[in-house]
Amino acid sequence: MIDLTDIHVDGPAGPLLRKTSLSLAAGERVGIVGESGSGKTLLALSMMGMVSDQLTVGGAISVEGRDMTNAVEADWRHLRARRLSMVFQEPMSALNPLRRVGDTVAAPLIRHQGYTREQARARALSLFEETGITDPERRLSQYPHQLSGGQRQRVLIALALACDPALLIADEPTSALDAEVALRITDLLVRLSRERNMALLFISHDLAAVSRTTERIIVMYGGDIMETGPTRAIMQAPHHPYTKGLLAARPKLWAPILSTHGKRRLPTIPGSVPPPQDLPRGCRFAGRCPVEMAHCATERPALIHTATGTAACHRQTADGAGGQS
Amino acid sequence: MTYFIVRRAAGFLLTLFVVSIIVFTVMNVLPGDPALTILGIDATEDARAALRERLGLNDPVVLRYLRWAIAALQGDFGVSYSFGVPVAELVGERLPLTFALAIAGTIVTIATALFLGISAAARHGRSGDWAIMLFSQMGIAIPAFWLSMLLVLLFAVKLQWLPPGGFPGWDDPMAALRALVLPTVALALVQAAVLARVTRSAALEVMRQDFVRTAQATGFSPRRVLWGHVLPNALVPIVTIVGLQFASLVTGTIVIENVFYLPGLGRLLFQSIGNRDLITVQALVMLFSVFVVTANFIVDIAYVLIDPRLREGRA
Amino acid sequence: MRRLPVNLLIGGVLVALVVAAAMLSVIWTPHPYAAMDIPNKFAPPSPAHWLGTDQLGRDLVSQLMVAAGNSMMVALLAVSIGAVLGTILGMVAAARGGWTEEAIMRLSDLGFAFPTLLFAIMLAAAFGPSLTVVVVAIAFINIPTFARVARAAARQVWHRDYVYAARAAGMNRFAISRDHILPNIAAPVIVQATIEFAVAILTEAALSYLGLGAQPPAPSWGRMLSEAQTLMYLAPQLAIWPGLCIFIAVLGFGLLGDGLRDLSDPRLGQRRSHD
Repeated sequence: MIDLTDIHVDGPAGPLLRKTSLSLAAGERVGIVGESGSGKTLLALSMMGMVSDQLTVGGAISVEGRDMTNAVEADWRHLRARRLSMVFQEPMSALNPLRRVGDTVAAPLIRHQGYTREQARARALSLFEETGITDPERRLSQYPHQLSGGQRQRVLIALALACDPALLIADEPTSALDAEVALRITDLLVRLSRERNMALLFISHDLAAVSRTTERIIVMYGGDIMETGPTRAIMQAPHHPYTKGLLAARPKLWAPILSTHGKRRLPTIPGSVPPPQDLPRGCRFAGRCPVEMAHCATERPALIHTATGTAACHRQTADGAGGQS
Repeated sequence: MTYFIVRRAAGFLLTLFVVSIIVFTVMNVLPGDPALTILGIDATEDARAALRERLGLNDPVVLRYLRWAIAALQGDFGVSYSFGVPVAELVGERLPLTFALAIAGTIVTIATALFLGISAAARHGRSGDWAIMLFSQMGIAIPAFWLSMLLVLLFAVKLQWLPPGGFPGWDDPMAALRALVLPTVALALVQAAVLARVTRSAALEVMRQDFVRTAQATGFSPRRVLWGHVLPNALVPIVTIVGLQFASLVTGTIVIENVFYLPGLGRLLFQSIGNRDLITVQALVMLFSVFVVTANFIVDIAYVLIDPRLREGRA
Repeated sequence: MRRLPVNLLIGGVLVALVVAAAMLSVIWTPHPYAAMDIPNKFAPPSPAHWLGTDQLGRDLVSQLMVAAGNSMMVALLAVSIGAVLGTILGMVAAARGGWTEEAIMRLSDLGFAFPTLLFAIMLAAAFGPSLTVVVVAIAFINIPTFARVARAAARQVWHRDYVYAARAAGMNRFAISRDHILPNIAAPVIVQATIEFAVAILTEAALSYLGLGAQPPAPSWGRMLSEAQTLMYLAPQLAIWPGLCIFIAVLGFGLLGDGLRDLSDPRLGQRRSHD
């Protein structure tokens, strides 16, 4: 339903997102995994036509067969009002603190769908029920500060569902929540995606949350795609050294509980992500890669097919498809 | 919420009480002999003694203060020494003009500042933003009374569109309005320059927050996001400054009335200073302070109306 | 190396200009500022009188320069007094906390009840108009402003590790305030002082314009304007120059204050970055 071809974003100091292609089918659930600075949010924003106008976006994008490559802001707004939705990380600051949450959810219905105030309220109520908000009737007239983090995130999901979107992008929807609440939110997103045949793009730095939610995973680093493939395959047999690093960094037995808790950011890959202008010209992971070769830092590896998906690593070409490093 | 308002109201009354003591002390006690101030050094000792007797100046200070304060609470500010009529009457005559000027000034200030500030924030970093900030930076540095003179030079002396000063009275509303145009502009422009800067930075602060992205992601136009989401959330700092500015606006009317020869309270204050009419000056200074303190009190209450988070008595 | 803010640069140049003129006026002016030359009144600009003369044939440039000196002197005195007293109060409030802090802050709230101009008017009515009254009024109203700024900044410094270390080492509150707090709150206090300097210039001009400040023959920009107002039809040019001087001085100190703040607070101007 959405196709991106060679999408790339450039900032004043250099490229922030390298040429990336990506398609989502209707009802498909795809995850993007990466540390902060990996370009995952930028990729999502470019799908919403919401990249800051101080950055330049290139490449082709089409939504449900409609070419949006040269679309103006009004066309994007039209889509955002009807087909695309996004949920952000901080459920507190993502809701206008001065508005009752019921009004926040009702506003796009009234504005974009021509609902009356009463219709919009009734619809907001049913959305609250659908997203599992407790005591929905009373919540409608409460303010964001009166709700818990999990309830707020559900309100944001209800808001995102208000326009019956074909695609829901969830950008780190669980990172600010307690582990247990986070689990319930991910399950809710999966259920909604199934019931509504709605495509879901789940963005997180947390491999465990993504693996629980999605059918397919895209691993990003430094504004570039490292590896793609079916979730199960990536979790069991990753091809890219970066993905392997991510998996190794994951606490083993109690993974789903600990890794969603607090702000743990995969600390065991040596070094940290350099700022965009200092990234190597070749493979973005060069410099931190345990199996780096001489030309890695200067030559960008192509995404080539592996047994199960694709990976961008010179080791792949050197050792043959599916080779072990 | 009730607790909050009661607390603030108590603070408000306490402030008024302290202010009245300060005004009374400065005007009545510090200068030594008020009779000397009023009559000047040329007056005979007999005349001064008679005046002291008439004004009750021989009584203890506390008694004099209480007498003044209690009478003032009942709307009796004494009889003006120079005009020979009750001060309350003088104030009643001149209040409408000052009031009209202050209200018009406030409205023009807020309208101009919100428009400029929000427009600048929407054009953050571009030439429109830069131009508006330049205007406001210059507006802050212009003395209101000089701006008044420049306006008079241009619109009254050169173009002769508007009267240079004076007030024809309320009988001819059109003429009254014309007489108030330049004073209002002079009063408001400087204040608007300050407020526009505050509005801009408050709006920029809000625009960084996630709910603006949420509104954008649900398909609302930038204009709607700006006026429907950004502005309401920027209102708390804006209202704070409006409240503080009301003080400058009130003292601004004192200056502006004197520039344009408008017979309001500010002009009366100066005539009374010239006449050494301490009784009237004291009443007017107290009155202006009451305006300012009241405005600050209203601002405190306004916060609660704007922000639901403050309504739960967590003040 | 960060780029010097534009406002700091422009502000600095304007301030330097005004201060230089004011200091020069102490030792030299083109003419004695009060020297009258009635036949030569309302003279247009000429090599002898760069900006012409006023209604009494007095040289305008000389008057403006001496007025600059008066204006700077009033602002310097008033802001220094207000800043020193206010900063001390603010530091005491932060150091002692408890009811001392509460009392100082409640008192400083009172500052908001009196706009400077109103307070000055009150003093002028009681004691007669003079520049002293102007200085006292501005200084007095500045105390609460500086008390707030100093207290807010000092409270933060009291929670820094080196202050905990100094307390652990047994230093008393006075010594800590002097050695650790004061140097660390200097930046916001100086920024505030620069801005209050601009406000003080504006207030002095307004009061002198109203006849409550500088008394004749002491030249003051504000008083020159009030004299020019009565001659507006006859000699509009007299209404231009003193106002321009006030404008330049206020703009200069205002920009300088903004620029210093931008320098001392690097958080400003930073942009949110995307993931």
